[in-house]
Parts: sequence; C-alpha cells; structure tokens
Amino acid sequence: MIAGQVRRLGSALLVGFAVVVGGLGFWQVVAAESLNTRPDNPAVLAALRSQPRGTIFDATGVALARTTVANGLAQRAYSDPAFAHLVGYASLRYGLSGIEAAWDDVLNGFTDPNPLHQWLNDILGRPPTQYDLTLTLDRRLQDYAAAQLGTSVGAIVAIDPATGQVLAMTSTPSFDASGFTGDPGSAAAAWDLIAAQPNDPFVDRARNGVYVPGSIMKVATAAIGLDSGAVTTDTTFPTQPEEEINGMYVDGFLITEHDLNGLTPGLWDMSEAMQVSSNIYFAHVGLEIGQERYLSGAEALGFCAPWRIGPRDHGLSGVASSVTELTDAGCGPFVDDAELASASFGQGRVTASPLMMALLTAAVANGGVLPDPFVVRDIRPASAQNGPLDEIVESFAPGDGTRVMSAQTADSVRALMVDAVHGPLGAPYAGAANVALYGISGVETAGKTGTAQRGGNLPPHSWFIGFVPAGPDGSPAIAVAVIVEGAGPGSQSAAPIGGRVMAEWLRLAGGG
Amino acid sequence: MTNDILRILLLALQFGFLALLVGLLWNFSRTLRSDLGAASAAEATTREGIGRLIVVESPAGEPPEGRTLAIGPITSLGRNVNATVYVEDDFVSAQQALLTFRGHAWYLEDQGSTNGTWVNGHRIERPVALSFGDEISLGKVRLRLER
Amino acid sequence: MGGSLRWTEFRLLLPVLLLVPLGFVLAHIGQVGLAETGPLAIPLAYLGLVLAAHLLLRGLGQRGDPFLLPIVAAMGGIGLIILGRLPQDLAGLDALGLGMAPTQLLWFGLGLVVMVGVAVGLRDDGFLRHYKYSWGLFGAVLLVATLIIGSEVNGARLWIFVGPIGFQPSELIKIVLAIFLAGYLAETRAVLSQATVKIGPLKVPPLPYLLPMLVIFGFVMAVVVVSRDLGTALLFFGVFLTMLFVATGRRSYVLFGFLLFFGGSVLAYFLFAHVRVRVDAWLNPWADPADGGYQIIQALYAFARGGVFGEGLGQGIPLINGHTPVPAMHNDFIFAAVGEDLGFIGASAVLALAALLVFRGLRVAIGAGDDFRALLAVGLTASLGLQILIITAGNLKLIPLTGVTFPFLSYGGSSLLASFAIVGVLLAISHRSSSTP
Repeated sequence: MIAGQVRRLGSALLVGFAVVVGGLGFWQVVAAESLNTRPDNPAVLAALRSQPRGTIFDATGVALARTTVANGLAQRAYSDPAFAHLVGYASLRYGLSGIEAAWDDVLNGFTDPNPLHQWLNDILGRPPTQYDLTLTLDRRLQDYAAAQLGTSVGAIVAIDPATGQVLAMTSTPSFDASGFTGDPGSAAAAWDLIAAQPNDPFVDRARNGVYVPGSIMKVATAAIGLDSGAVTTDTTFPTQPEEEINGMYVDGFLITEHDLNGLTPGLWDMSEAMQVSSNIYFAHVGLEIGQERYLSGAEALGFCAPWRIGPRDHGLSGVASSVTELTDAGCGPFVDDAELASASFGQGRVTASPLMMALLTAAVANGGVLPDPFVVRDIRPASAQNGPLDEIVESFAPGDGTRVMSAQTADSVRALMVDAVHGPLGAPYAGAANVALYGISGVETAGKTGTAQRGGNLPPHSWFIGFVPAGPDGSPAIAVAVIVEGAGPGSQSAAPIGGRVMAEWLRLAGGG
Repeated sequence: MTNDILRILLLALQFGFLALLVGLLWNFSRTLRSDLGAASAAEATTREGIGRLIVVESPAGEPPEGRTLAIGPITSLGRNVNATVYVEDDFVSAQQALLTFRGHAWYLEDQGSTNGTWVNGHRIERPVALSFGDEISLGKVRLRLER
Repeated sequence: MGGSLRWTEFRLLLPVLLLVPLGFVLAHIGQVGLAETGPLAIPLAYLGLVLAAHLLLRGLGQRGDPFLLPIVAAMGGIGLIILGRLPQDLAGLDALGLGMAPTQLLWFGLGLVVMVGVAVGLRDDGFLRHYKYSWGLFGAVLLVATLIIGSEVNGARLWIFVGPIGFQPSELIKIVLAIFLAGYLAETRAVLSQATVKIGPLKVPPLPYLLPMLVIFGFVMAVVVVSRDLGTALLFFGVFLTMLFVATGRRSYVLFGFLLFFGGSVLAYFLFAHVRVRVDAWLNPWADPADGGYQIIQALYAFARGGVFGEGLGQGIPLINGHTPVPAMHNDFIFAAVGEDLGFIGASAVLALAALLVFRGLRVAIGAGDDFRALLAVGLTASLGLQILIITAGNLKLIPLTGVTFPFLSYGGSSLLASFAIVGVLLAISHRSSSTP
C-alpha cells in the first residue's frame, strides 16, 4: 500500500537532510578557519579598514612603519624607503608583503603571544591587542648601505656572523608604500606609478634576486674542496700554467681564463689562485672534488633550498640558490664534468642570491657555523608614542646555527679571503674593499670580488663578499654581500661599497 | 571590567539559548518516540491480522481469482478505480460497499448499491458485523474474509 | 483523547514559548539600538498569537497532529528573531511603513489565522478531490498569468502586483499542484501501478500513461525558460515525482523523471545563459568572486563566521560597507544568517526541526486512510521538505543556488501564508483520521 512508499520517501528525505547537515558541518567546522582568514573575506577587509596595527621599529627605536586611524580608515605610513622590501607593506588593496605579511597576526593582534590572553580575547569578543616589533637592523647602517647603491640597481645584505642578526638588507630601486596602503579606491594610482618604473622596484633583490655569482663562488668551492679533503691549500695542478694561456678541455668543452691583465701564469697554490681569481685552478679543484661531493657540499652550505629568515615560524622566505638545474626537489645532478668545472668558478648553471652569499660569508667568519638569520629582535605592547615601550613581551635569542664546515676549513678559507684583499696578487682586485681605505685602521679585511658574466654585450654584474675584523683571532662583527647590476668588474664597484659598509658598521658599533 | 562581566553573562545566555534549542528538540523526539510506540502497536494489530480478503470467484478476472487482498481499517469496494478493492463487474456499483474495522470487529455497509451486497447469501440492509470466514458477494464476485 | 492531545501540544509548545522571547531579548542586547520597536513588543505579540492559535484550534475541537503547531511556531519564531536583527529596511519599507520584523509578525499572525481556518474549515474535502481538473486549470492559468503580467524582481519573473501588494503565485501554485496531482493520482494509481508494456526485458508503463508526466515536465521547463525561476521549477518537478512514486511505488517513473530532468538541465545549461551562470558559480564561485560567485561566497563566509557555536544572536555582522554581508539575507539566504548567529549547532537544530516537520507530515499521510488525503499530505509535506532542502543545499554550495524561500523562516507574506495553509491542511487530514472510531 501507500504506507510503504511513504516510508521510503521519508528515508530519502532524511538522507537529504543528513547531507545538508554534512555540508553545514563542512563549512562551519572543517573549512571555517581557512574561510575566516581568506584575504578576500569582506569581513576581514572591513575590519582591516579601521584596524590599528603595531609599529615596526629599527634596532635604535626609530619607527619604520606606523598606522594612524583617521575617519575610520587606517593609513599606514613608511618612513624609510631603504626598508621598503624587508618591512614590506600592508595595503587594503594589494595585501601584505615582507615583515608586514610574516608578522601580520602579531601586528594586528589577531594572535596574541600569550595563549591565555588569546583565549580570553576570543571568548569575550575583546578587540585584539596590537604589538610592536623591533628589528635587528640598524637604520643608520641600512640608510648608509642604500646610499652607497644610490641610483644603481643592486642589493646589500649584512649579517652579524656570531648571532645571525641581520644588520642591513636593502635593495634598489626602492619605493614608498605609504601611497597605496589606505583607501583602496585611490591606492591604484600610487601603485601603478611604482609598477611603471624601470627595473621593477617591487622585487626584493636581497632575498629573491637570482644572479650568476661569478668568482665569489670560488670561496664556496674552496670550502667544499678543503672540507672534503679533496685538496689542501698547498695543492697545485701541473697543467695549470699552460692551461691559463691555451685553455683546458673538459668533456670536449673549452674552459678559458679571464683576462689576467698581463700577469704571467705560474704554478699557483690556492691562495695565489684565489688572489688572481683563477678559473682554471678552481675548475681543477671542482673536478678533484667530483660531481656528487660538490653537490652535497653545496647543499650543506645552503644552496638548493629556499631560505627561512626567522625568528620562529614567522619566516620570511628567500629564494633558493643553486649549483645545477633547480627543480622543486632541489638541485638536479650535474650533466657532465664540464658543468661541474664551470660551476666551480661560478659560471655554468650556478645561481645565488645576495642573502645566500652573505650567509656563506658569515659561516666562514663564524668558524664554520652558519648562523640562523633573523630580523626581529623583540615584541612589545603597542605604543601610542613615536618610540618603543620599555616593556618587552618576548625577545628572541640567536639560534644555534648549523655547522657547515670544520673550524679548520673555515680558518683556511678566512686566510684565503684575507690574502685576496691584502695579498700582492689580490690587491688589484679585492683591495678596494680594505677598510683601511675608509678610515678604519689596524683591522684585517677578508673579501672576494666577483664578475658575473651575462650573455651578449651586457655589462657584467659586480659582486663582493667579505667580513671584518678578519684577523686570525679577531671576532668578525659583520659579513656582507654586495651586488651592483651591470656595474662591470667586482673590483670597481661592489668591492669599495662592501668596504665602506663594513667600515661604517665598525664605526657605528665601536662608537655606539 | 564590568564590560567583561556583561560579555560573560551574554555569552552564557547565548549558550543557554542553544541549549534550550537542543533541549526543545529532545523534548520533541521523546514525545515522538512514545507516539510512535503507540502507533506501531496499533499497526502491529493491523498487520497481524485485522484481516484479508480471499478472492473466491471473479469471472472478469479483476480482482484475479485466488488472490489474497490486504485490507486496511477502512476498505472501500466497488467498480471505481479509487476503491481500495477494485471490482470489475457490470453488476457492481461504483461505490458498492465499505468494510470497516471498528474496535475488534469488521463491519460491512452497503453504500446504496443498485444490485445489493450479500453476506453468506443474505442481502444486507444496514451495517453488519462480520466474522472471519464470512463470504461477501458483489455482483458475480465472491470474497472471503479471513484473518 | 482530545484532552491528552491538547496537553501534548501544550507541553511541546511550552519550551518554544520560552525559547523565542529569550532569543529576541538576546538578539536585542547583541546589537542594541537597531530594532525600531521596543524589545518586548514583538516577543509578547508572538507569544499571544501562538497561544491564541493553540487555544482556538483545540477549543474548536480540532484534533489534528499535536506536533505541527509547536514545530512551525519554533521555526517561525527563529525566523522572526533573525529578521529582527537584520537592518529593518532591507526589503524596502512596505505600505504600512513598518520594519521587516513587525511586518513579518503581521504575516505570521495572518498565517496562524489561515492555518486555524483551514484546519477547522476543511471538514469536507470533496470540493478538492472532485474538481481536480478545475484546480489543475486554475494552477495553469495562474502560472501563465505570472509569466505574462508578472513583474521581474532580481531577474526572475515571480511576482504579481495587485495595487501596492505583491504576491508570489508560485507559492499558491505549489498547493494547487499538490491538490490536482493527489486527485489525479488517487484515481489512476491502480492503472499506473499495474499497466505495463514489455520492451525487451524492461517493464515500462504504456505511453498514454506517461503523457501527463511529459505535459507537466514541459510545463516545468517552460517555467525555467520564461520565468527564469529555477528553484520553483525544481520544486514543482520534485513534488510531482515524489507523489508519482508514492502513488505507484514504481521506481521506473522516478528514474525516468530524473533522466528527463537531468537531460533537460544539461540542455538548459547549454541553451540559457542564466542557467549557465548559476551552474558555473556553483562549480567554482571563486572563478568570478565579484559577480557570479559573489552571493554564494559571501554565504559561505557567513557560515564560516558562525563556526560551531555561532557568533551569538544579534552578533552576526549586520552590515559590511553598507550592505548585508550576504545579499538577500532576509529571504534566500536567511539560513546563512541562522548559521552565522547560531553556528553549526543552532543551524543543525533548525534543520532537525524541518526534518521533524516532514516526518510528521508523512506520518499524517500514512494515517490518512484514504488515497486522496494520503497523497495530498505527501505532496504538501514533500513541497515543504524539498523546498527546505533546495534552499539550504543551495546556500551551502551542495547544489547550484536557486532562489526559493525557507518556509516559516524567510521574510515574505506569500511564503508564510502558503506554508501555514499547508500545515492547516495537514491538521485537517490528521483530524479526520484520528476521529475515525
């Protein structure tokens, strides 16, 4: 009769209701969190429009990013274009970048460092409490570095080798984000104006620039070679002097020396080879190391994987550097020995970011321990004044770092880099980085220049890495990496900038 | 501080509302279960046998001879497709008769048919109580009431 | 029996009468200052109306199902609470210049009157079953009239305006369709469920019996094409199929109907832009978040804000940049507002109430003891149940979004009156079956 059919209909409708409850559960329980934090959620946007936001201070307490709320509209202003890429922007229209993005939940107060506070705020529906950040970077050094680059295109990264505190990190050309943070309606004009400028000012070259490293890669090759035991600093290659002139064949591929400026090639040891920046010598070192050992050595130094700049999980990312073809899984294998030999002196398919090279240098300066880089020193309650409060909610201690080479290797490489600046053969190249030239006396400088060849008739990029004080028992205070795009040989442009920045820091740290 | 206390109070009340809403459903479902219990008990008697009709004779084949017809507490018989028991016979009226189960017994009532309804060979004039095994005739069709 | 029934209904009603006023007060505290009427006027009026309906119904000797009034009173009450916390001029101020909640309360009261009137007045349903074709014709005329003289609101031709008062004929047609089909199927169900033609191994009903189905299907498709009202079309066809299945017990009809509808939908997808927009917005709303996918995305955000326990009554976001967080939050998307305020627990409870209503409606059908009444109860119950499923599933992106109201919750007189009329019929049917000795 009908009753049976009605029951079956009832069951079908019941299944329908169960499915709807399932859908309800999915959106309200399972997917709720991700929906609630989606940046295009209008409730989030509306809250942001008038949302106060913590201030970002530099290490000396100068406000770099501040929010003022006027007429229910939050306007974020940035005081220093030298910090534009690192600090980033918090724009109602264009979203977040840099530290503004990585530390968003602390700055806007949505995540309280204190879990109990967090819980109370949640259930009581209290407005979130904002927090201020103090960076490890010193505005004076940052501005000085940016001024050295001036109108040229490039980047500078400076790190305290012992702690991993980033001291300066700047990229040119820069921009002022203040114009597009507020009213979304009028933000486009300011944004478009910046976007239309040449050399893409929005790109952070310090963290995300991908460059051919050129000769500064020889420092990495030396470190890998010495640490693996494949070579010593006394190793010589009998065929090298002749190959300096005629070139050397590897797998049928001809490797040639760069212009030695009339220097007569001899049977060089590693120090001399580093001073004159011999391609042939370091090609031999690479071949001595072999493909697999070179690859694993490079990976240990930090190549082949993206960087995280701490502290904690509030990571800023940095692009992965590479010695071979880079895939999602990391560096691929070398295709042949020709690629290995080229990589050993910084050509081939090697790529490096200024951040990568600065950290490599810091590892050498720090006795072989690669420090954990971090940019935020502490968190404080939001201050209404133009300076940070004294109360500190949480301060961040340096990490343990990672040993990437033995202390002995690090010391050998240090000595090589000191020779590259001070040695008779090296002085014409990296000598321009000697801090003695910039008013600091009695301090040894370690360094290495690089000239990154580009295709066609484009002028090469100019590289320099180095650290001071670099004496046998000195404790280095700063390690830098400098790149100036299209500025020719490293000795002419990057090396003097590197020297000046290091000298400036010794002055600031000594005087302050 | 007072603001916080007010908020906690409001929060408690909001949860109270949800609890009341769920409690209301609980109240419904409890009453529902007792209602269903009664209903299924009533249905059980229906199923077990308030009875069924056996088609003893049916010259036109509708209902087919020998077929057992399940019948509910209110069963209409007639030459109307709406009838619970549809009978195809020219001598049967559209609404011939009504079988009803009242209390513990079946009753048969003629609905003013032209040719009459018969029980065990007697034409019925008013509603009559049936016993199981009684034979009902409408036109040429004969049905037997069984448990 | 009568006494215990009245007692049962009152016992079920009591927590509802506690719940709804509490909800009003909470919603008012949650967003002080928005309601134009004082916080107690509406809940007190609600209390009075529901109690009066209860006493009148039982006082007049109506012995219909005791669950129905408490369930719909709870649903209607929650609807009123939610409407009270939304901006009151959302639907545009009506002729009386009242806000949304007072207007809805007015319709709620009228709905109760209609319910009691139908429940008590429908002692003899002869005029319903005997004039089924007239009812069918009436429905058809109403439908055609809507298509011709109806006004477009939000791109769908749904409204007929008589002077300043507009109503949605589809709500009435829904009821008329159920009456017509109940009459038609009660008469022909023996034939429909027996007659078969063998095509190979398949037993199918002979073509002449499939014709009415095809006619109705054509009708439904016409609604889709001309009025662009996909939800109502789906609802009509769903009611038709469920009634056909219950009347005949043959799954082949349902299967055939589904295939037909599916084929028709696919065809409509490729033929009509407005169908395509809906379906695309369903498949991937984030592909066009500012336009096609806007409504559904905002609804999902509202659900997500609610979480497990909800934001609290009246604490859902009333306006974002001057608009409700979800467009049409007072009718098509009222369930999203319920989800936002009451969370997963509260919204599930509302769904459970709806399921309970369907359950009782079907129970009435089983107890009806007469094919016409049983089918009528099934058809009307299915129309409520399917409508709730269509709109909630649409809100939750389980099916493409189609604009139908949430019975008893959504803002709107036509929907409320029709829904209460349906409950009135169910009460009348259950009264008849309970009075059989």
